[in-house]
Amino acid sequence: MFNFAFDSIGEAFIMQSANGQSHGIYVWSVIFIVFLSLAVTFFVYKRKISSIGKKIK
Amino acid sequence: MIKKFIHQFASPKTYLFQVDRAYSYIFYISLFIYLGSLFWGLFLTSEDFVQGNSYRIIYLHVPASFISQSLYLAMAFASAIFLIWKVKLSAYLVKSIAPIGAITTFIALISGSIWGIPTWGTWWAWDARIISTLILFIMYLGLISLHDSFTDYEKADKFLAILVIVGSVNIPIIKMSVEWWSTLHQTASITVTEKPAIDSSMLYPLFGSMIGFAGLVCCLVILSSKLQILTREKNKSWVKNYV
Repeated sequence: MFNFAFDSIGEAFIMQSANGQSHGIYVWSVIFIVFLSLAVTFFVYKRKISSIGKKIK
Repeated sequence: MIKKFIHQFASPKTYLFQVDRAYSYIFYISLFIYLGSLFWGLFLTSEDFVQGNSYRIIYLHVPASFISQSLYLAMAFASAIFLIWKVKLSAYLVKSIAPIGAITTFIALISGSIWGIPTWGTWWAWDARIISTLILFIMYLGLISLHDSFTDYEKADKFLAILVIVGSVNIPIIKMSVEWWSTLHQTASITVTEKPAIDSSMLYPLFGSMIGFAGLVCCLVILSSKLQILTREKNKSWVKNYV
C-alpha cells in the first residue's frame, strides 16, 4: 500500500525532484523552524508556569 | 439560563482542573498523529508533478496557516462572550491565545516564504494573501502590546475584546484574497463545497498533520491560559492550594 518515495536516507535528505532540482534544503529548513518554534514555546511556557508557581508558594 | 450555565462551567478554577486532566492525553495523541502524518507526507507520498518535492512543505505550512486564522476566530468568539456575559475566563483566553496565534502566523509566513523560493523564484511578493497574513501577524503583536501597556486589567480586557472583534474583518479578507485579487498564491486546494484539488494520497496526511498540529497548539493555549490564570488569580486561596 505504501512505497517509500526515496531509496536511501541520503536521497530523502537531498530530495532531488524529477526536474533535477534539490528541494531538501527548503523542506528540512521548514521542518527545523516549525519544531524549534514549537519546542521553544513549550519550554518557555513550562518554565514561566513553574516560576510563577514557586512565587505563589 | 445560558448565563448561569456559562458562569458555572467557565470559572477559572473549574477550567484549570479540567484542562490539567486532559492535557497529557491531548499532547501525546496529537504528537503521535502529527509525527505520523508528517512521516507519511514526507516519505510515503510520491512527488508532485509540477512542484517536485518542494510541495512537501504543504504538511507544515497549511496547518500553520489554517490554525493561525482559526485562533483569531476563537479569540473573536471569546471576546464576544466576554463583552456580552462578562465571563472572566473568556478575557483570560483572549489574552492567552494572542501569543500562540502570533507564533503560528510566524510559522505560516516563514514556511510560505521558504516554499516560495523553489516555487515562485522569490521568497517574498507583495501579494494580497501574503500581505493580509502579515497584517494578521502584526495584529497579534499589536494586541499583545496593547494589553501589556495597561496597568488596569479590566480596561485592558475590554479594549482587547473590542479590538479583536473589529480586527476579525481581516479573516475573510485572508480567506478570499486569492479569489478577489490576482495573486501569486494559489487558490484553496480544499474547500467545503467542492472536491479537493489534490490527490487523496496527499490529502489524508495533510488532514492528519492539520489535526495533530491543532492538538499541539491546543496544548500551548492550555499552558498559556494556565499562566494567565495563575498570574491574575495569584492572591486567591484556591490558587495557593492548587500550586
